[in-house]
Amino acid sequence: MEEFNVTAEIRNQTGKNAARRLRAAGKIPAILYGRQEDSVALSLNPKELSAILHSGTGHNTIFSLEIQERGTTSVMIKDWQFDPIKDNLLHADLVRIVMDKALQVKVPITAVGEAKGVKVQGGIFEFVLREVEVECLPSDIPEHITIDVSNLEIGANFRVSDLPLDPKIKILSEADLVVAHVIAPKEEKVPEPAVEAVVAEPEVIKKGKVAEEGEEGEAKPEEKKEKEKK
Amino acid sequence: MLMPKKVKYRKQQRGRMRGKAWRGSEIAFGEFGLKVLEPGWISDRQIEAGRIAMTRFIKRGGKIWVRLFPDKPVTKKPAETRMGKGKGAPEFWVAVVRPGKVIFEMEGVKEEVAREAMRLAANKLPIQTKFVSRLGQE
Repeated sequence: MEEFNVTAEIRNQTGKNAARRLRAAGKIPAILYGRQEDSVALSLNPKELSAILHSGTGHNTIFSLEIQERGTTSVMIKDWQFDPIKDNLLHADLVRIVMDKALQVKVPITAVGEAKGVKVQGGIFEFVLREVEVECLPSDIPEHITIDVSNLEIGANFRVSDLPLDPKIKILSEADLVVAHVIAPKEEKVPEPAVEAVVAEPEVIKKGKVAEEGEEGEAKPEEKKEKEKK
Repeated sequence: MLMPKKVKYRKQQRGRMRGKAWRGSEIAFGEFGLKVLEPGWISDRQIEAGRIAMTRFIKRGGKIWVRLFPDKPVTKKPAETRMGKGKGAPEFWVAVVRPGKVIFEMEGVKEEVAREAMRLAANKLPIQTKFVSRLGQE
């Protein structure tokens, strides 16, 4: 496992304005909590956190956080937010880790091998569940759970109960959840040339009101004609 | 074409498209996706054209998810009609998208195939888009 060290500063100003000024200065706001201690507002370099998120262990990486004047502590990324367009990190939640207490984390599942249903039968391999929730000690968190899908045929499922068991890890996700399966390819129906496109309208829930509107609409021109005659 | 089965009101006002798509901005089902970069309306025909372009290119190779639904009616007045006399009749349906929304997803194909299929689909759309993959997202 790679070792990461992140340095952070205590953030005194909070709120949208201060957070935006911080981001403009090349840092991001973050919060540190956990271990029944007070939460601390921090500011840190997003590149350091981004490197952790893109590492092999990803968000399950335990790293040391050095806070100015407060010393070093072991932490993990609990939650993070990305900008939907620029893909840069906006905020992160860090949680203090107690090394002798089990925690619940989501571990990615990696599939190896080409499924028989794809190779021989021409099906489509679909990865349904890409992460599984597990409970274990911080030192036992696996980088990923590897599954061999080479024997998977069309219509067959690989379920959570089929995941390779490790005595140190307790899987919390439901046992009957499908992790991956091979489905038969669907053929695209060739649409028949439409004789005349009929613009269908959906059903309006308040039917009574629509009818009234229609009646009103019909009544109006007659009223106008009468007025003109007068 | 895609359209709702039931609606509460036949006609809608146009509305504004401010901000970014904070929800639905990550790849949720497949391996690759097409992300919208500007706000706009995507009509039922454009969604269908994009889906067909992708399906035909990947043939029977992969699976496609369409993550937008045209639930907003757009009205139009008949040609050569004088102004006034009320709002026109519903003509077609659109999906309102904000920048950041992942509209199509794909799985079961190689990246080059997915990239080309998404390019063909993007050509059917009225807005700028970009190709995204799950690996780049994490």
